Amino acid sequence: MDLTREEESILNGEQGEGKQKAMELVTALGKIYGADSLIDITSAHLSGASYKTIGDGGLKYLEDLVAGGARVSVPSTLNPVGMDRTRWKEMHISEGFAEKQLRIIDLYGRMGIDQVCSCTPYIGPNVPSMGDHVAWAESSALSFVNSYIGARTNREGGPGALAAAILGKTANYGLHLDEKRRPTVVIDADIDGSVFSYSLLGQAVGMAIGTGIPFFKNINPEVEEAKALSAAMAASGSIALYHVDGVTPEAGGFDVSELETIHIGEKELKEAYDKLNRTDDVQLISIGCPHLTEKEMHQIASFLKDKEKRNKDIEIWFCTSAAIREKCAEDVKVMERFGLVLADTCMVVAPIEGVFERTGTNSAKAGNYLPTLCSQKAMCRDISALMELVI
Amino acid sequence: MIFNGRPISNGKARGEVIKLEEPLSFLGGVDGSTGDIRVRDGNVAGKILVFPRGKGSTVGSYVMYDLKVHGKEPAAVINESAETIVATGAVISSIPMVDQIPSVRIFEDGDIVSVDATKGTVEIEGVVFKEVVSSVVSRNGRCILEKRPESNHSYPGCWSLVAGKVEDGESPVEAARREILEETSIEVGEPLDSMEPLYVREGKVLFKVYPFHFDAGEKDPVLNDENEDWMWASPEDAEKLGTVTDTVTVMRRFLSR
Repeated sequence: MDLTREEESILNGEQGEGKQKAMELVTALGKIYGADSLIDITSAHLSGASYKTIGDGGLKYLEDLVAGGARVSVPSTLNPVGMDRTRWKEMHISEGFAEKQLRIIDLYGRMGIDQVCSCTPYIGPNVPSMGDHVAWAESSALSFVNSYIGARTNREGGPGALAAAILGKTANYGLHLDEKRRPTVVIDADIDGSVFSYSLLGQAVGMAIGTGIPFFKNINPEVEEAKALSAAMAASGSIALYHVDGVTPEAGGFDVSELETIHIGEKELKEAYDKLNRTDDVQLISIGCPHLTEKEMHQIASFLKDKEKRNKDIEIWFCTSAAIREKCAEDVKVMERFGLVLADTCMVVAPIEGVFERTGTNSAKAGNYLPTLCSQKAMCRDISALMELVI
Repeated sequence: MIFNGRPISNGKARGEVIKLEEPLSFLGGVDGSTGDIRVRDGNVAGKILVFPRGKGSTVGSYVMYDLKVHGKEPAAVINESAETIVATGAVISSIPMVDQIPSVRIFEDGDIVSVDATKGTVEIEGVVFKEVVSSVVSRNGRCILEKRPESNHSYPGCWSLVAGKVEDGESPVEAARREILEETSIEVGEPLDSMEPLYVREGKVLFKVYPFHFDAGEKDPVLNDENEDWMWASPEDAEKLGTVTDTVTVMRRFLSR
C-alpha cells in the first residue's frame, strides 16, 4: 500500500501509540482487501456501543484507548446502546449492566464522539453528502447512506470504524471505488408500497442473492421505506449498497440491460414472511428498528389516539432517538398509554433475553437478529397488526 | 523449514502450536477470561494458534482483547487467509499475526514455531521438508494403486498412488514420469491434468505433494522391488483400503472429471 510520509510517520509511532495502533488496524484491513492507499473521510458512525454485545473485553479496550488519549478527528456518532440512559429501570435492566453501559457511553464521549446512540444518525446529526467518503459501521445505516444519499463506505466493523475516525482516513477499496459500486443484479419488485412491504422485500432479496448490489425497478421508496429496505437486506444478506431506478442518486449512471433480473412478488414475500414468523403470541412488542422517524411517530400516535390498551400482559417498546422523542412530545403522550417510548436503544442490543422469550416486531432486521442475538421466538407483522394484539 | 506469509499484526513470538482444522469464531469458540477453547480440548494462552480463518460475530475481536486483558492471549496467530474479525482482534490486542501460509496442514499440535510477523516468516523447528510427486495413472476410470511393504519407512503397509521423491535438478513432472517408469515400467506421455500441491505431515516430515494425472495406456504394470502388490482401483475401491493420506481425494479430483 502506498502511504504518504505523514501516514508512514503515524505508522512508525512518531505521533503517539494511540494513532499508531489506529494506523496499524486501518492498514492491516486495507492490506487484506487489496487497498492501494488511504483516503480521507468526512465522518464516521460507530457500532459496538452496547455492553451486551462488546462485553468486558470491549469495555477494557475503550478504557485503554481513552487512557492513551485517543480522540476522533472527524464528526462521529454512536450506535444504540443496551438501554435508555434515563429509563433503564423500566426496561428490567440490572444495576450492574447499567453501570457498565453508562461507562461505555462516557468513554465514547471522551473520545469526542457524539453520543446520539441512534442507528439513524443520517436523519441528524450525521448527514453525509453525495460522493463523501465515510467510515460507517451499523449495517442498516451504512447501506442507507451508500444507497439513498450516495456517500461511500464499506461495511466497517466497530474497531475499524473507530480507528478510521481517529485518523480521519480509511483504506481505499471496495465501495469507495466507482467500479465496485456497479449493480450486479436487477430486482423487478411487485409490492404494495407500505413500509412493511419494503421490509419483506429486503428480506426476500437478501434470501435470494445473499450478497451483491441490487438495482431495483418499480419501487419508489422515501426515507422510511429506504430505511426499512436497507436494514432488512443488510440483515438477511450482507448487502451494503443498492440502487433504485429513478430514485437513488447514482442509479441513472448504469446500463443494466445485460444483468440478470430476479422477480420478487407475492410468493417471495410470503416466503420471507414465513421465515420471520415463528410464534403466534408474544410478551413484548418492539417497534423502531431502525429508530422511528418523526413521521412514523406521528403515524403511530394518530393510529392509537382513539384506542385503548386492553391486553396489559404484553409490553410495548417504541424505539427512537432522544432528539425525536423530545420533538414529538404530543405523540409520546399518546404512545405512552400503550408502552414505553425509549431512546438510545432497541430490542436487538438490549439484554431482553432472560426477561422475554417471544417478541413481536415490524422489522425484518430485528426478525433476523431476535432469535440469534436475543434468544427470542420472533413475530414479524406490520405495526397495525401488532397493535391489534393489544387493543 | 521457513515459510513466507504476509504480515498482518506486527511482533515476534516462539511457542508451541495448537491447531484447529476448521474456521474459528472467537465469540463462542474461546473463553475470553480463561483462554479455554470450546470447540476442542486445549487452551490458547501462550500458544501459536493456527486455524484456517475467522468467522462469526464481529464481537470476536473484543474476545481477543479480553484474552489479552486476562493474560491468556495466544503468543501468535497464523491463518491461511485473514478476515476482518481476527485481524482486528490481533492488531488491537498486539498479538503477532501472519496469514497466507499455504495450509494449516503444514503444522501439527506441539510443533515449536517461531513467528516473525513483522517480516511475515514462520519457522517450524525440527521439521524436514520433502517434495514428492503422486500420480493417478488411469485407464477406464480406475488407476494403479501399489501396496507398500511393511518394512517401508513412510506409510508402511499402505496402498499408494505411484509416488516418489523429486530429485535435485528435476521438475515435478519429470519426477512423476521417472517414478512411474521405475515402479511400473509404464512409459507415460504428458500429464492429462495436475492440481495445486498438497501438504501432508507424517511425524517430523512435511511432504509437499504434487499430484498429476496420466493415461496408463494399454500395458499393465510390472512392479520393481519397491512395492509388493498392485491393483486397478476406483475411488470407491480405494475408500475401503488403508491408503496414504489424500489418496482418495486426489483420485476423486482426477477421475470424476
